[in-house]
Amino acid sequence: MNRRRFLGVSAAGALAGLTGSARGASANAAIDLLTLAQPDLLSLIGPQAVRKIGLRYRALVPSENEVHVMYTAILAARPRPSSIAGLVEQDFAVGRTMVLQGWVVSVTEARQSALFSLLSD
Amino acid sequence: MHIDARTLPNGSVLEADLCIVGAGAAGISMALEWIGSRHKVLLLEGGGLDYETAMQDLYRGESVGLPYYPLQAARLHYFGGTTGHWAGFCSTLDPIDFEKREWVPHSGWPIRREELDPFYARAQPLLELGPYEYGAGDWQRRDPTLVPLPLDPHVMWTKMWQFSPPTRFGARYRAAVIGAPNVHLYTHANVCELEANESVRSIEGLRVRTLDGKEHRARARYYVLACCSIQNARLLLASNRRTPTGLGNAYDLVGRFFMEHIEMPTGHLALAPSRAANTKMYALEFGRTKARGELALSAAVQREQRILNATVSLEPGGPDEVAQSTFQWGTPDRLSALRERDAHANAGPPAEPPPARAPLFFHLMTRQEQAPNPASRVLLSTERDALDMPRARLDWRLTALDRRSFHAFYEVMGRELGRSGTGRVKMLDWVTRDEDTWPSTLSGGWHHMGTTRMHENPRLGVVDATCRVHGLGNLYVAGASVYPTGGAANPTLTIVAVSLRLSDHLKRTLA
Repeated sequence: MNRRRFLGVSAAGALAGLTGSARGASANAAIDLLTLAQPDLLSLIGPQAVRKIGLRYRALVPSENEVHVMYTAILAARPRPSSIAGLVEQDFAVGRTMVLQGWVVSVTEARQSALFSLLSD
Repeated sequence: MHIDARTLPNGSVLEADLCIVGAGAAGISMALEWIGSRHKVLLLEGGGLDYETAMQDLYRGESVGLPYYPLQAARLHYFGGTTGHWAGFCSTLDPIDFEKREWVPHSGWPIRREELDPFYARAQPLLELGPYEYGAGDWQRRDPTLVPLPLDPHVMWTKMWQFSPPTRFGARYRAAVIGAPNVHLYTHANVCELEANESVRSIEGLRVRTLDGKEHRARARYYVLACCSIQNARLLLASNRRTPTGLGNAYDLVGRFFMEHIEMPTGHLALAPSRAANTKMYALEFGRTKARGELALSAAVQREQRILNATVSLEPGGPDEVAQSTFQWGTPDRLSALRERDAHANAGPPAEPPPARAPLFFHLMTRQEQAPNPASRVLLSTERDALDMPRARLDWRLTALDRRSFHAFYEVMGRELGRSGTGRVKMLDWVTRDEDTWPSTLSGGWHHMGTTRMHENPRLGVVDATCRVHGLGNLYVAGASVYPTGGAANPTLTIVAVSLRLSDHLKRTLA
C-alpha cells in the first residue's frame, strides 16, 4: 500500500470519529484531511523525519493529540482563502516556528506532521 | 639579501631603520612595502627557508583550557609562516565588527571599516585574489550562473569570500625579499627578548639566538612584532628584565583576549528542489573556485538578537553523514602531507570534479566569532624551550554568549530559509540543548587573534590605533593579535591590510 493510499484509509477511519464543527466544516473534509496530513516537508526531508517531528509535537502539545483537534487547529489558523502553503510561509515570516527534532518548522508544518504521525500510527 | 644567522660570528650586531620580527603574512607583506626605499630593513625569521622539526619545536606549548590543537602544529615557524599550510579563504570583516556592541563586552575597534578599505584593496593582489569586490551582485555580474538565494536583506545576506591559490608567502615572495638590497632577511634568528631602555619608554635592541648557541643583537629605530598572536604575547611577557610582568603589560592585558573562530558542523539544510539552481553560488571546488557565498545574519538581526557575528557555509552531505570539524579534518598528518606536497609549488589542493547534479542536502558549517574574553589567554609556561625561553601556555575559554549565539543564528536562519522557500534547517543536537557545555566536535579555525588588542586607552588595550604598544615609543605589533574582535572572516586578508596600514604609518614616521 503506498503512502497516499494508506493515509486515505487511515483518514477515512479518523473521519468517522470527527465530531462537531470539524466534521461539519466542509463537505471536502476528507480531502482536506489528506492534504493537511501531507506537509510539503515530506518531499524535503522524508516521511521518517516528518513522523518524528509529529511525534515530538504531540508529546509537547498533548492537548492537540487527536486527529480532529489537530485538524481543527490547522484550519482555524488558515486565513481564508489562503492556502496551506501560504499559511506555512506566513508562519515563517512572523516567527511562528518551533524547533522539533532539531528542525526549524512552522507551527502549521508541526501540526501537519503530527497529523501525519497520527494517521500513520 | 639573505643571511643565515648561524653563519654570523657570535655577538654580531645587526642594525637598521626598521626591524620586523617574523616573516609570515604580516612580516613579509610589510617587508615588500619597503623594497627600494632608502631605509634599511631587518627581517628576522626564527626558522629557516623551509620546514625544520627543531625550529618547529620552539612553538610547542601547553594547552590548559578547552581542548585545542597542538600549538606546534597550529603555526608554522619558517619563512612564509603559516601561509605554508593555509587554505586561502579570504573575506573582509563587516562594518559591525568594528563597532562597540553593548551586548558584546570589550567589543569595538578604534578604527572603522572604511579606514581599512584602501588597505584591503592593496592586500588583494598580495594574496593573488581578484578585484576588491565582495558583493554577491558583483560576482553575479561577472558570472550570471552565480545566483544568490532570495533572502530578505534585512534578515540575512550572502557574504562573499574569495580564494587565494593559496599564496604560499615563502615560495611566492622569497626571490623578491632576498633580492632586495635594502631588506636584510636573517633566518634562524630567534628573538628571545625585547630590551627596553631604563625608563621602559622605548626598545633599545633585541636579543637574537640561534639553536647552535650564538647570541646576536639587533638594533633599529623602530621595531615591529609580527610573530603571530601566541608568539607576540609570549615574547612581550618573556621580556621581563625591566618589568616583571613583561613589556606593554602595565595593565595585565598582554596575552589576554585570545580568540579563535569557532568552526563547527552545526546543522543541515534540506534544499527545496526549486532552489537547486542557486547552489553554484555557495559551492567550493578547491583550486578552482574564485569566489563563493556563505550565509550571514544582517547587522540589524545581530543587534536584535544580541548575538555574535557568524557565517555558514554549505557543504554537500545528508543528515545521516557525519561532518568533520576543522580540527578533526586537519590532523597534523594531513597538514604535514599538504605542506610537503606543495612546499615548492604555489598550488592549492587538487580540483575535485563537480557533482553530476546539484545536491539537495547540505551540512551547515559555522564559523562564528568568539566573544572577547579576558580569561581566554596566553601565559608563560614553567617549561623552557631549546633557546631557554619560557614556552607558551594557552588557556582557551569560551563564554555563554558564544554558545547562545549558535542557537539564535540557526533559529533565525531556519525561519528565513523557510520563509524564502529555500528549504528547511536542522540543528545538530548540541545546538538545541540549553546548556553551557560544548560537544566533542568543538573546533577552532586555527585562527589566533587578540592577545595584544587595539584600544586607544592603555588600560583597555596593548596597542593604540596605529598598532604602537602603549608606553613604548618605537615598538609596534602587526598581525591578528591586535584585533579587538575577530568577526566571522578568516583573519589573513585583514592581517595583510592592517600590516599595510602600519607600514604606511611607519613610512610617515621615518620620513
